[in-house]
Amino acid sequence: MTLREQIRRNYEMTAVLLVFFGLLIAGVGAALYAAYGRGAAIAVAVIGVVWALFSWFMSKSVVSATTGAQPVTKQQYPELYKAVENMSIAAGLAATPEVRVVDDPAPNAFAAGRGPKDCYVCATTGLLQTMDQRELEGVISHEMAHVQHRDVRLMTLVAVLVGVIALVSDIALRLLFFTGGRRRSSSPADLILLAIGFAGLILAPIAAVGIQLAISRRREYLADAGGAEISGDPEGLALALRKLMDDPREIKHMNRSTAHLYIEGPLRNATGPRSLLGGLFDTHPPLEDRIARLEQMGGFKLPPDTATA
Amino acid sequence: MVVVIVVVVVAVVLLLFLALAFNHLVRLRNETEAGWANIDVQLKRRNDLIPNLVEAVKGYAAHERGVFDEVTQARAAVSSASGPAQTAQASDQLSGAMGRLFAVAENYPQLRATENFQQLQSELTDTEDKIAAARRYYNSVVQTYNTAIQSFPAVLYAGLLGFRARQFFAADDSDKAVPQVSTTPAQ
Repeated sequence: MTLREQIRRNYEMTAVLLVFFGLLIAGVGAALYAAYGRGAAIAVAVIGVVWALFSWFMSKSVVSATTGAQPVTKQQYPELYKAVENMSIAAGLAATPEVRVVDDPAPNAFAAGRGPKDCYVCATTGLLQTMDQRELEGVISHEMAHVQHRDVRLMTLVAVLVGVIALVSDIALRLLFFTGGRRRSSSPADLILLAIGFAGLILAPIAAVGIQLAISRRREYLADAGGAEISGDPEGLALALRKLMDDPREIKHMNRSTAHLYIEGPLRNATGPRSLLGGLFDTHPPLEDRIARLEQMGGFKLPPDTATA
Repeated sequence: MVVVIVVVVVAVVLLLFLALAFNHLVRLRNETEAGWANIDVQLKRRNDLIPNLVEAVKGYAAHERGVFDEVTQARAAVSSASGPAQTAQASDQLSGAMGRLFAVAENYPQLRATENFQQLQSELTDTEDKIAAARRYYNSVVQTYNTAIQSFPAVLYAGLLGFRARQFFAADDSDKAVPQVSTTPAQ
């Protein structure tokens, strides 16, 4: 599979997932209508829309505040600036993103902002110490791909939709428990609809979180593929991922809401209950898989890992 | 009555499709133009830096005439070249000539120690990297654009609407990542 085919397939999968998301929301709406009639469905729909708009507009200011990123000058970090400039040219962005740095010894990086014209790329001081210029460009190219693919905006949207489904389902379930539903008729068709709706209300929030995670992981592979195309050097990115894999440190300011923006999942626990779930709730695919895919795309093989084992 | 409605609906759908397809091609063409502008900016920046570099090296190695002439001629060829393919060839020649100029400079430790030379060298290296980056972007958007106008059904009307295939920024077919498509000159 070539790079372009991989990118196209990832986009198609993302589109399918978003359609599924829409159906999920429609299903919850239908269930509400079946159970409580038009009035309740409209009332809950209004609450949902208001909540969606509120969290959408608030999210913009929240993201920049939670990361602790500081703007820096070209004199302070010439290598990082060069990497960001070169990769933004190669990505064909209309403007070079702002450059920011988080003072943290764990190597990691992320991009944030509202779109390609208004965004920033952020690296930790640990990343700058760990990576050489080639690997740094690999990491930055991954972030540029996130910017180019509008991942920041999409992921915010997904977070909002997950929140709306959770809220609406919660309201609907409480209504059901307290009123036992509106007993307006008991024809078999209505009962079946009610049963489907009830199941949907329970499953919707679970499925929503699952979709959020699936989209996020899909988009990591896509950002790797896009980054490799931007830098023209899949091996550089693979080497950078290898270094991230070998580094045990975790970033201090970790936050679930921005976890999907980082190049490496900032919330990884090697032990504990999360490992038993087989990475079901990880926002990022395993680094080994990502390196393997880059090797497959670029037609190269990294030398055996010497740092671990 | 039904026939009229069907005809109107079909006409509207067809018009809508054409409008969308046209806008899509315009957007792709604009991307190739923006990509070309990126390359142009970096080529100009490099051409502006070169006379300073030549002067700096001349101060220490005035007798290395051949390499100075080569760089100066290659630089002029880049400014006078027309079209991406010709420009790419001139640009590659200039890169080669500059490589030889830096190789000459290697023999003069005093020259290499000057701050002026070090700064010029780092700026030129940076510009070369940016040309390479801009070239990757340009060639990828040209490939997308050329594929779009040569695919069915766009191939039927793209020519009529003035969409012409664009040249890659590549001197020869050494750039294996980007397949050469038969092109007619863009300008």
